[in-house]
Amino acid sequence: MLALAHAELGRLFDALHAEGYRVIGPTVRSAAIVYEELDGPADLPVGWTDEQAPGRYRLVRRDDDAAFGYVVGPHTWKAHLFPPRERLFQARRRPDGRVGFDPVLPDEPPTAFLGVRACEVAAMEVQDRVFLEGPHAEPRYAARRRQAFLVGVSCLEAGQLCFCASTSTGPRVDHGVDLAMAELPGAYLFEAGTERGRAVLDRLSARPATAEEHRHLDEGIERARGQMGRTLATDGLPELLFGNLDHPRWAAVAERCLACGNCTSVCPTCFCSSAHEESDLTGDDAARVRTWDSCFSLEHAEIHGVNVRPTVEDRYRQWLTHKVGSWVSQFGVSGCVGCGRCIAWCPVGIDLTEELAAIRADSAAPAPMPVRQAPAAATDDALVPRAAVVIGVTRESADVVTLHLACDPPLALRPGQFTMLSLPGLGEAAISVSGTWGDAFEQTIRDVGAVSGALSALRPGQQLGIRGPYGNGWPLDAARGRPVVVIAGGIGLAPLRGAIRFLLEHPLDYPDVRLVYGTRTPDDILFGHEMLGWASRPGFRMAITVDRADLSWRGDVGVVTRLLRREPLSPEATYLMCGPEVMMRFAVEALTAAGVPSDHLYLAMERHMKCAAGFCGRCQYGPFFVCKDGPIFRHDQVARLFGREGF
Amino acid sequence: MAAATRPRLGVFKLASCDGCQLTLLDCEDELLAVAGAVDIVRFSEASSRPDDGQPFDLTLVEGSVSAPEHVEQIHRLRARSKRLVTIGACANAGGIQALRNWVDAEEVMRVVYARPDYIRSLATSTPISAHVPVDFELRGCPIAREQLLELITAMLTGRRPALRDESVCMECKRRGNVCVTVATGEPCLGPVTHTGCGALCPSYDRGCYGCFGPRERASTGSLASWFLQQGMVPAEALRRFRGINGWSEAFRKESERHER
Amino acid sequence: MSAEEKVYQVDLLTRVEGEGSFYLRVREGVVEEARLSIFEAPRFFEALLRGRSMFEVPDIVARICGICPVAYQMSALAAIEGALGVAPSPEVRALRRLLYCGEWIESHALHVFLLHAPDFLGYPSAVEMAKDHRAVVERGLSLKKAGNALIALLGGRAIHPVSPRVGGFSKVPRRRELLGLRDALQRGLDSALEAVRWTASLPVPDFEQDYVFVALAGGDAYPLESGDRIAVSGRADVPVADFETHFVEEQVPHSNALACRLADGTPYLCGPMSRVNHHADKLHPLAAAALREHGPPLPVRNPYRSIVVRAIEIVHAFAEALDGIDAYVEPERPFVEVTARAAIGAGATEAPRGLLWHRYQLGADGLVVDARIVPPTSQNQARIEEDLRGVAPALLALPHEAATRRCEQLIRAYDPCISCATHFLRLRIDRAGEEVPS
Repeated sequence: MLALAHAELGRLFDALHAEGYRVIGPTVRSAAIVYEELDGPADLPVGWTDEQAPGRYRLVRRDDDAAFGYVVGPHTWKAHLFPPRERLFQARRRPDGRVGFDPVLPDEPPTAFLGVRACEVAAMEVQDRVFLEGPHAEPRYAARRRQAFLVGVSCLEAGQLCFCASTSTGPRVDHGVDLAMAELPGAYLFEAGTERGRAVLDRLSARPATAEEHRHLDEGIERARGQMGRTLATDGLPELLFGNLDHPRWAAVAERCLACGNCTSVCPTCFCSSAHEESDLTGDDAARVRTWDSCFSLEHAEIHGVNVRPTVEDRYRQWLTHKVGSWVSQFGVSGCVGCGRCIAWCPVGIDLTEELAAIRADSAAPAPMPVRQAPAAATDDALVPRAAVVIGVTRESADVVTLHLACDPPLALRPGQFTMLSLPGLGEAAISVSGTWGDAFEQTIRDVGAVSGALSALRPGQQLGIRGPYGNGWPLDAARGRPVVVIAGGIGLAPLRGAIRFLLEHPLDYPDVRLVYGTRTPDDILFGHEMLGWASRPGFRMAITVDRADLSWRGDVGVVTRLLRREPLSPEATYLMCGPEVMMRFAVEALTAAGVPSDHLYLAMERHMKCAAGFCGRCQYGPFFVCKDGPIFRHDQVARLFGREGF
Repeated sequence: MAAATRPRLGVFKLASCDGCQLTLLDCEDELLAVAGAVDIVRFSEASSRPDDGQPFDLTLVEGSVSAPEHVEQIHRLRARSKRLVTIGACANAGGIQALRNWVDAEEVMRVVYARPDYIRSLATSTPISAHVPVDFELRGCPIAREQLLELITAMLTGRRPALRDESVCMECKRRGNVCVTVATGEPCLGPVTHTGCGALCPSYDRGCYGCFGPRERASTGSLASWFLQQGMVPAEALRRFRGINGWSEAFRKESERHER
Repeated sequence: MSAEEKVYQVDLLTRVEGEGSFYLRVREGVVEEARLSIFEAPRFFEALLRGRSMFEVPDIVARICGICPVAYQMSALAAIEGALGVAPSPEVRALRRLLYCGEWIESHALHVFLLHAPDFLGYPSAVEMAKDHRAVVERGLSLKKAGNALIALLGGRAIHPVSPRVGGFSKVPRRRELLGLRDALQRGLDSALEAVRWTASLPVPDFEQDYVFVALAGGDAYPLESGDRIAVSGRADVPVADFETHFVEEQVPHSNALACRLADGTPYLCGPMSRVNHHADKLHPLAAAALREHGPPLPVRNPYRSIVVRAIEIVHAFAEALDGIDAYVEPERPFVEVTARAAIGAGATEAPRGLLWHRYQLGADGLVVDARIVPPTSQNQARIEEDLRGVAPALLALPHEAATRRCEQLIRAYDPCISCATHFLRLRIDRAGEEVPS
């Protein structure tokens, strides 16, 4: 460990500049300590500290000249790794229908982050799991993260709202940085954490730290650890929260919560985002832009005009059960690093430690939570589309069309997967793959809005953008050797078609296949032609029902479950379901009542997606992401949440 | 786009300050391109081109319904508009002039004029949506240029307009602003106000005063309680919610809660 | 309509701000009726201001007009600060003048190029005009954009700025932010000089009237954001505080706007022509030179020439803005604290369209007891009707359509802001017999 006198701190700036870095660090602006570009030590908040309370932050003069005598302010380092607004790619569409996509990649100069607190290092490591651990890695975040030179500063004083001791994320910076610093009244102490940290350290002409200085540092850390303004009992928190989803405290906090999104914005680990298209007046020259979003926003949980989390209570519960609960199942660590920002910057001073303590003090039995295994990450840029071409179009019904597509290189697809299809300047939609044919593949689209409508209107020869494939597939392996019942409602037959074809192509493995299919009217029956072919196969039987029909219809009218119950429901069989959630709920009820075990039931869930690659956070379903853990879930995995409002 | 297939645009004004219409003219870099892509059939502020009486693909209306003629006019406009979009606080919520809605109609009409019968005015100033169905409300006082352009571009390209309904706070934080309420105690309506201005007021070191009206789920009660706890008197809380968009439902209910 | 009677009318004036119509009836060469009817619905601002905090006044009065919100804010602040004896620092005053320059540029450019110029060349709108004169229209748009950029930097946004407040500004720009506008403003100045040449070349009907010109006065500068006196041609200056004694508003049956005349009933004119006639000696040297080279000789009495005067004022505003930016010193504090007390004060500034006068009575609690506002278009209303009478003889020689257009062009020469003019109807709200001052 080396040391510099206070007056020599300028050497650190010189060293960083000499190594080619611009320096972003703390400075006083607009009555707070924020992170901005600094020219030298004079820009640091010398002699300032922050006094914080729920909903309140004030800068107060210290009686010494400490430059790092504060804790954390409204800014986070996430703004420099995952910017609030970022163009992902430029897109263009030519008059002949061809499309092109050019990724936009980061171009900031090399940057050193000066003043990174231990909790902030921990927060970056949490976001690393979000953005870098599979199934897709986010290259923009990766590039900025790799390049950022971190100068960590340990805390020798805790803030009024800090609880890093409870979350084991501080106060000492002892890993994860290029250079670790601490500020004693008489000196700055430095330790290198990496090779490039050493290169900077070598330029400082610093002297070795004394034994006394070592001791002061250790004492300071311990003092800070003991001074924490808050505590949080983290034991079994995820299980506690998911066992108490109906606790009265949720309604109580919802009376106060403004659903303003400030907590998620200042939180250094929150990662939810949205994306939209920007273009010139013609739409032929466009860009997709990603922006910070929040689970408190209206559109976060909106799908096809229905909102899964309409009330403030739903949203607050989603936020908190995610942050310290389902986050652990998703990423293996808690999302909370104990920095206290959400408490300070909440305009009405809601304190999550208080809310959690209240729930813990008076709680029902905890619920088991899944343990996550992170798959290996792919290396492509999952967020930029490539061009696919329409080879053919089949109209299935008045509002449903199947596009026959090809792209180069071809996609490796499994039944049940989906892709994100887009048109420049217009937008993107998640569309199921409904079959494959050699290298070509089929995607079936229902016209429900601007994007799906425009995709449905494409003609052979025209191009569109494609990302994917995403998601898991139907568990066809697990279903081998047993009867299979396929239950489909409406457009839900589309993601199941590939599975049905596979089952029929392997009659030895699947000797007994039954399809139960319900749709609105006879005119809405999909793949009718192909179904005739299925019906003629041995070992396959099929029943169709409609909601309403005129007298020319000789078949069943009524709900799918009635059709389902017409035959005995074997507990041995595997049940594959896709359709409106309400249909799946009734089907699950009927099957469960008939003794079918929960782990024989498979549901295809649908939630709003902007990225489909595991980053935007909007498709979360409790501890799962529909895009990467689904869209197909085994019922016992999701039983606790299935059918419950707010998730 | 071929001239024959250009969408027809009409721009109209009821009772208002003209700022929202002016916003279209303030798209200086884009105006001539917009005028090329869209047929600006009627826009009396900027053009003497007569109204041909034919339907519009898009009608933008600024201003509140504030006189008997306005009621008639807005019904006629609705009938000939494929899409009717109300622009600005006056059209969406009655505007600042809706403050007179709280004054007893009788009193308002007892004017000191030589001949009061010279003035014909409705006792209230109401939003256009109180009279006809509206396809979209573009918020603001005035509306934001970028949002107006996005609305027009979305119509031309066929996409859903990228216009979010969320708190001003989200945009404030994206811009890196320091919250004026938390850091200085300055009251700010940001948490309950619809975004769109780019978090303008906090960027200029003052609190939001609600130009874009209430957002969805505006928790005005909780915000007002906080103001009062911090020492604001009820009369001031009332005034803060009874401003530019004071007649919109969420703000109106809140201001009325603080009447003596 | 008999052969000897001619009626010229337009039921909804276009290319003016707000809703108005005109009607001119001439029988055997004699004007029987000349009416400017303003039927825009009144919004009762003076009544709305009662009971509001004085700190809310700039936000509220801005909404009187979308084209000249700064003028309303500045006049209101002059009156309120005058009432309370608050003196903003010289740096803040300089910033307010700079902000106002931005508005003059934006408003005048809007009028010259988008609203008035089409009349001179026979187009229904600037968009149509751009088909044949694209460079001219683009010049107008870029001038307007530069003015808007200046307002937006100082005020937050061009329409309804958010930073002006009692005592100063909520936030002031850094010097480097202002310097960042310098290039655009310099280009604007060059463009504005070109605009003077161009407007001076437009064909202009011969028409002069004998006007009483009224403009703000007091101080060494061209009248803009401050002045304690009002100059009236041929008469003594009127102190701003005594406005109501010398200028009288009256309701007329055909209009929602009050018409303002001198106490003896004489109509008068305020606006760019008045300003240049009273204060040409205070024009920035660059504007003065442009006036000398291309402008009408003074005193200018032909309203159709106001388009050139506006162009000269655009030059003046750009030149002042550049000087202001170069001289800018960041105020130590953006605003001074203000203590409420019972007081009455009046203030006036020169809006792009002319004199804008405000008067406020404040309570000890800082709330507005009474507010009075007289906008320029109200003051010009009577004079517009006089001009219609005056132009009638020249119309008789023209085809009907052309004559009607000539009337419109005349009305547009005033750059009327009708939404402003209608919002100052006096309301006396009697609550249970309690007399409230009117």
